[in-house]
Amino acid sequence: MSASAIAEPGRRAGGAAETLRRLARSPALRVIGRRLLSAIPVLWGVTFLSYFILNALPGDAASALLGINATPAEVRAFSIKLGLNEPVWVRYGHWLGSALTGNLGTSAASPQSVASILGQRLPVTLELVVYALIIAFVVAVPLGVLCARWPSGVVDKLTAALSIASLSIAPYVLALVLVILFAVDLSVFPAIGFTPLTQSLAGNLRSTTLPSIVLALPLIGFYARFLRGDLVQQMQSEDYIVTARAKGVSEWRVLTRHALRNSFIGILTVIGLNLATLVGVTVIIESIFSLPGIGYELLNAISNRNIPVVEGIVLVFGVIVVLANLATDLLYGVLDPRIRRVRSRS
Amino acid sequence: MSVPAANVLILPAQEVRVAGAASRRLRWLRSVEIWVPAAFLLAMLFFCFIWPLVYTVPSPVHGSLIDNNLPLWSKGHILGTDTVGDDVMARILYGGQVSFEVAAAVQAIGLVIGGALGLVAAYVGGWLDAVLMRILDVFIAFPSLVLVLAIADGLGPTEMHVIWALSAFSIPAFARVARAAALQLRDRPFVVAARLSGTKTWRILLQHLAPNMLPQLLTFTLLGAGLTMILEGGLDFLGYGIPPPTASWGNMIAAGQSFISVSPRFVFVPSIFLFVTTLALNLLGDGLRARWDAR
Repeated sequence: MSASAIAEPGRRAGGAAETLRRLARSPALRVIGRRLLSAIPVLWGVTFLSYFILNALPGDAASALLGINATPAEVRAFSIKLGLNEPVWVRYGHWLGSALTGNLGTSAASPQSVASILGQRLPVTLELVVYALIIAFVVAVPLGVLCARWPSGVVDKLTAALSIASLSIAPYVLALVLVILFAVDLSVFPAIGFTPLTQSLAGNLRSTTLPSIVLALPLIGFYARFLRGDLVQQMQSEDYIVTARAKGVSEWRVLTRHALRNSFIGILTVIGLNLATLVGVTVIIESIFSLPGIGYELLNAISNRNIPVVEGIVLVFGVIVVLANLATDLLYGVLDPRIRRVRSRS
Repeated sequence: MSVPAANVLILPAQEVRVAGAASRRLRWLRSVEIWVPAAFLLAMLFFCFIWPLVYTVPSPVHGSLIDNNLPLWSKGHILGTDTVGDDVMARILYGGQVSFEVAAAVQAIGLVIGGALGLVAAYVGGWLDAVLMRILDVFIAFPSLVLVLAIADGLGPTEMHVIWALSAFSIPAFARVARAAALQLRDRPFVVAARLSGTKTWRILLQHLAPNMLPQLLTFTLLGAGLTMILEGGLDFLGYGIPPPTASWGNMIAAGQSFISVSPRFVFVPSIFLFVTTLALNLLGDGLRARWDAR
């Protein structure tokens, strides 16, 4: 299978079907297998770590949920009901056993199952993250191209300044500034609250726009700068750029058709790296904007020592990061035939 | 933000390919990029730590309620007073102490522990490297905020605990950077020469590798310090950090949030200080990196 990849190095995959067939033949499947296998200890480590840290903290779910007015007998009865009287190893073993069969248990705070809580909360957070990535891309790509077209030009300098500013501003400060501007002064967007997509599309977008902008702004700064750096470097040193120019292709076309495509590989890596961060920041953003997402739930679960819910959320975060990195790795191969070749040789 | 966030701050260094007078002007500009933030940070450090010792600053706590809610530029209270009558300027200065202390401590812990881990992992290699890297992978896949919130919530809100909680970010981040830097150096001739001439391993690590990694790690420290300040404020903001009445920028912003539509200055004054200080740290880190990269 590796021989075919070497035999036709220059050819680009034609059509989706061809790409799929190529993927099936190429070492990509092996890469997927290896990555998924190596993800198992990582995911296990994540759940193990969070279970024991949460358990080591003072206080437990029984006393946290019953409040300070509960009698010791009530707390005892409730903790027996939650199974907290068993040693932590046993409890983690139980949890791991049922998690492996796909059962994430029930919340300590309510009879709801963790899976259904995740089902309710996850879409909100995912919507925020996807919306933010879309905003970041739509703004950052043209900006990066403009900067690379005229390096050290006005746009370039402004973008450089804005990008470092956007990385220096705290998300909660940015959120408050945007709330003052757009919710209090202009009343274009609601300051807090969430309208489900099932209720109204416009309302849903209105309620997620401000939080998504807060998430997107640092990304815009970062992606634009990254793209600019990558494009400028390509335009200065790569052979295919020289060839394209020599053929008389216009500068804009060289930039957007020849160089930009290659820069997407770099951008993908960066997004893969960013994703864990981005999901982490949603915790703060959701609590400022009172969005019923996974981060908001996480804050409650941690302060209630609601271990099953925390475990479920941590596992989901871990899976997202692992899958994102896997997807990044695979897309490399699709975008850059050279990487495919190197892989098949190794 | 979490572990990779620190990597996120590393922007591609701007390349300089200009000749003659323009390049001289550019170099001058670049040094401005370094000296202006450095001077600002020194001034901030002076005003936060030394100024209150030499000059009588109003107390940051136990202000008089009669004097509450004074506007900016009031007599005796340059930045006014907050809702309980505490002088805002004093709270900014004492809050700044907290921010700088936390940032410095977290970076120092990260530099020493994370740096040592990364250095040893890269140099020794083999199973030790593999195990350490898997553990780091766990931290990367782990939403660090969970860890930080859990530590801060469980241990109780004090400055020391915030420092330990935030070190959960800085140690893995430094370990990654240090490992990458050490891997580049490991097989360089001077290291090989040292190894062949029988130098002890710890001596190679400390005297041959560590000094050469230091510039890279120091710029990373500055970028990380800015991030730490933002995160420390975030913990305060979520109510897991340093609790009032002790002054910190984060809890000042959080307290001002309730009055945001009436008097936004309670939010803006500490926010501006937080922003400008972080900006200065990032600019300095970026500027130094560009300079050291160019070499």
